[in-house]
Amino acid sequence: MLQEESDLSLIIAQIVQKLKGSNLYSQLERQAWASLQRPEIKLESLKEDIKEFFKISGWEKKLQNAVYSELSVFPLPSHPAAPPEHLKEPLVYMRKAQGSWEKRILKSLNSMCTELSIPLARKRPVGEQKELLNKWNEMGTDEPDLSLFRPVYAPKDFLEVLINLRNPNYENGDSLSFRTHLGLIQIPLKVKDIPELKECFVELGLNTGQLGIDDSTQVPPELFENEHVRIGQKVLAEQDSAAAQQYIRQGSPTALRAELWALILNISSEPEDVLYYEQLKTNVIQHDLLVDSLIYKDVKLTASNDDYYFVFEDYLYQVLLCFSRDTSVLSHFAYNSASPPKSYIRGKLGLEEYAVFYPPNGVIPFHGFSMYVAPLCFLYHEPSKLYQIFREMYVRFFFRLHSISSHPSGIVSLCLLFETLLQTYLPQLFYHLREIGAQPLRISFKWMVRAFSGYLATDQLLLLWDRILGYNSLEILAVLAAAVFAFRAVNLMEVTSLAAAEAVLADLSTLKVMPLLQIFLFATVT
Amino acid sequence: MAGKVKWVTDIEKSVLINNFEKRGWVQVTENEDWNFYWMSVQTIRNVFSVETGYRLSDDQIVNHFPNHYELTRKDLMVKNIKRYRKELEKEGSPLAEKDENGKYLYLDFVPVTYMLPADYNLFVEEFRKSPSSTWIMKPCGKAQGKGIFLINKLSQIKKWSRDSKTSSFVSQSNKEAYVISLYINNPLLIGGRKFDLRLYVLVSTYRPLRCYMYKLGFCRFCTVKYTPSTSELDNMFVHLTNVAIQKHGDDYNHIHGGKWMVSNLRLYLESTRGKEVTSKLFDEIHWIIVQSLKAVAVNASPSLTSSTANDRILKYNLINDTLNIVVPNGEIPDCKWNKSPPKEVLGNYEILYDEELAQGDGADRELRSRQGQSQGPRAGRSRDSGRTVLTTWK
Repeated sequence: MLQEESDLSLIIAQIVQKLKGSNLYSQLERQAWASLQRPEIKLESLKEDIKEFFKISGWEKKLQNAVYSELSVFPLPSHPAAPPEHLKEPLVYMRKAQGSWEKRILKSLNSMCTELSIPLARKRPVGEQKELLNKWNEMGTDEPDLSLFRPVYAPKDFLEVLINLRNPNYENGDSLSFRTHLGLIQIPLKVKDIPELKECFVELGLNTGQLGIDDSTQVPPELFENEHVRIGQKVLAEQDSAAAQQYIRQGSPTALRAELWALILNISSEPEDVLYYEQLKTNVIQHDLLVDSLIYKDVKLTASNDDYYFVFEDYLYQVLLCFSRDTSVLSHFAYNSASPPKSYIRGKLGLEEYAVFYPPNGVIPFHGFSMYVAPLCFLYHEPSKLYQIFREMYVRFFFRLHSISSHPSGIVSLCLLFETLLQTYLPQLFYHLREIGAQPLRISFKWMVRAFSGYLATDQLLLLWDRILGYNSLEILAVLAAAVFAFRAVNLMEVTSLAAAEAVLADLSTLKVMPLLQIFLFATVT
Repeated sequence: MAGKVKWVTDIEKSVLINNFEKRGWVQVTENEDWNFYWMSVQTIRNVFSVETGYRLSDDQIVNHFPNHYELTRKDLMVKNIKRYRKELEKEGSPLAEKDENGKYLYLDFVPVTYMLPADYNLFVEEFRKSPSSTWIMKPCGKAQGKGIFLINKLSQIKKWSRDSKTSSFVSQSNKEAYVISLYINNPLLIGGRKFDLRLYVLVSTYRPLRCYMYKLGFCRFCTVKYTPSTSELDNMFVHLTNVAIQKHGDDYNHIHGGKWMVSNLRLYLESTRGKEVTSKLFDEIHWIIVQSLKAVAVNASPSLTSSTANDRILKYNLINDTLNIVVPNGEIPDCKWNKSPPKEVLGNYEILYDEELAQGDGADRELRSRQGQSQGPRAGRSRDSGRTVLTTWK
């Protein structure tokens, strides 16, 4: 028990340290000073009185939410003496693999740079700055020549890297047994089976009301929906992050979703936040980055052609261009197995004093990246709020979908979870697809990397992302992917090629996510 | 008397023909005995014109009512609505109630509009009251955005002045007539763009009024950002949403065609503005449609040209559901049919208004629920008519 206690005090110390530098801290301090004027604050019982004041005025709740937010993101410390790399990724071979993948990406970026003779960054001449400022709300109409740019990588390139990942300490052996994993991922990570998933996702069970199922037209709203909405309003009134996170496991009513997500992600739009966003905008105006062209190209290739998201094209530029320049994002690399690419001032290669992170936020966008932002446009139409929400979603969840790590929500685990579920519970289907050269992961990988954005109808996608927030985990993506295969199993059993299998699974826009998940987890014979 | 429905059409569109053929109906020519004729607007005009004296027989159906142009032509539509309102007022109907400024409480859904050149002087008087406003000129008989332009100075429409010496518009023939309306220059924007709604409404009978709305309507977005700036009054890509115009813009996208399903609009509005406001909006849209129909007729010809693949699928399904309602079970039409179709055949249509059902409840109920949102068991969603809400005034 002593170990747990010291772990706990370590966590507390770290969180306190983190929060001390935050805006909330100075606000609390100010509030505490101001409260001294109040008659109920007595010198003899100063500490208790101020605490009471905080409780009544709602400041304690804000602090609670901030702590809760930190806990959601904080990796559990393994050992007080563990070096920082362990926080990023405890397994050495994973770290190495991520390192070499990063080298490849950077090489690709640099060679594009050299080929096209475009600098990684340049300051815009004043005329160009003015023009961009005028066009800030309609960058979509800009038609820069993007033909020579190509995305730095696409999900399928990343998949190849994951397929070749091996644990050097693990001997697979040549003999096939029933334990042999027949999928593409050959890494021995622990993933949950259905009984464990049922425990984990207990609120998705058959006896619990769900939005996405129990709010359909056939069900009278008195049975579940009305009460659920009422509770949601109460949660919002209380401004309690933890309660919101628990609540949203059963789905969020459309009208409350924007606020609930903001509460769970602990985003409040203070004037400082708006100012910060404006500052980023200024950076965009003043400097042009090579990644900007990559972002343009990505948006034009994906969101602009999407039936649901084309309307918000301009918002996407406004968010992503600022995102690239946001150095506060660098702090998430403390718990991300990835590291920000380093570039050196011309002529000073290798000299640390002349190293800069490139892009400034350390995140190089890949093909489809803009689809992480697009669905959020349905919820937030104020650019700085939209920006904050996206940034928080990225540093909490999305980064895990394109970095190599052993984390249970990391893409490697998700792939393994997906394949294991399929192999264990739909062995005939799995075997058949494998035989015809249609390894299921080759089809489902792109769904998971994008968190299904662009594949599901927007209202369904939002119901899915509700659960990501509610369970603070991305495992549901793998479960859904398996559930989709289960749903279309009959058709898939009849195909005889990868192309035909792709065709059966090409259109997911009519799928209803929650029934699929519920049936797969709770109504399938295991 | 069982036989296959015999059809004719003078519009060569696959979304129509495929639907007829898949039902096993028999194609005939217009001179033969036909049951179902999908006519173009020109043919309707000829068929129902006074000179021909053509009468449909009891087993014939066409796709337009003879008076469809009462709503197609913009000047007739305005006249009909104005006349309808006055009639209700005369009857003392509570629907025609006005507020202290003389504005209709429930029937104020047409912006200030005048006919030109007929009402030119009235218009000038109104224009001078707020000289900085913008007005939109639309030719009465045209569609697809043709001939529309915006003005903010009287000099721009001098031609329509009746006593202008430079006027070459001596003839008052229908073709040259325009309507001029106050331009609403603060429209709801999404993604900074203006959009309009393309909704499909099927009217199967006028008396009693039975109409259906297709659930899968869509929004049409401009490709260019909206700006009320006067320097862009001439830029039709900013102000007119018609696809026929937008598709010539530089940024027109052939995959989605600048179209958004109405369900997306609903999701977006509920998420950003809340449920009550959104439900009210859709209620009011439905209200306007029904009131306009009551004030008389139906838009002539929605475009059956498909601009994108998704569009083609939509229109095919639309025609399919339409035929299921008006020619139930593929039986030979009979003018004595009077039953409301059962729910199963509605497909993606939902009942917008069924006068018979409504009259069973009494017309007062209609108004009562318009006035107040929360009144007893009728408030809230009407479950039997499908998800998108037709709540309180059924």
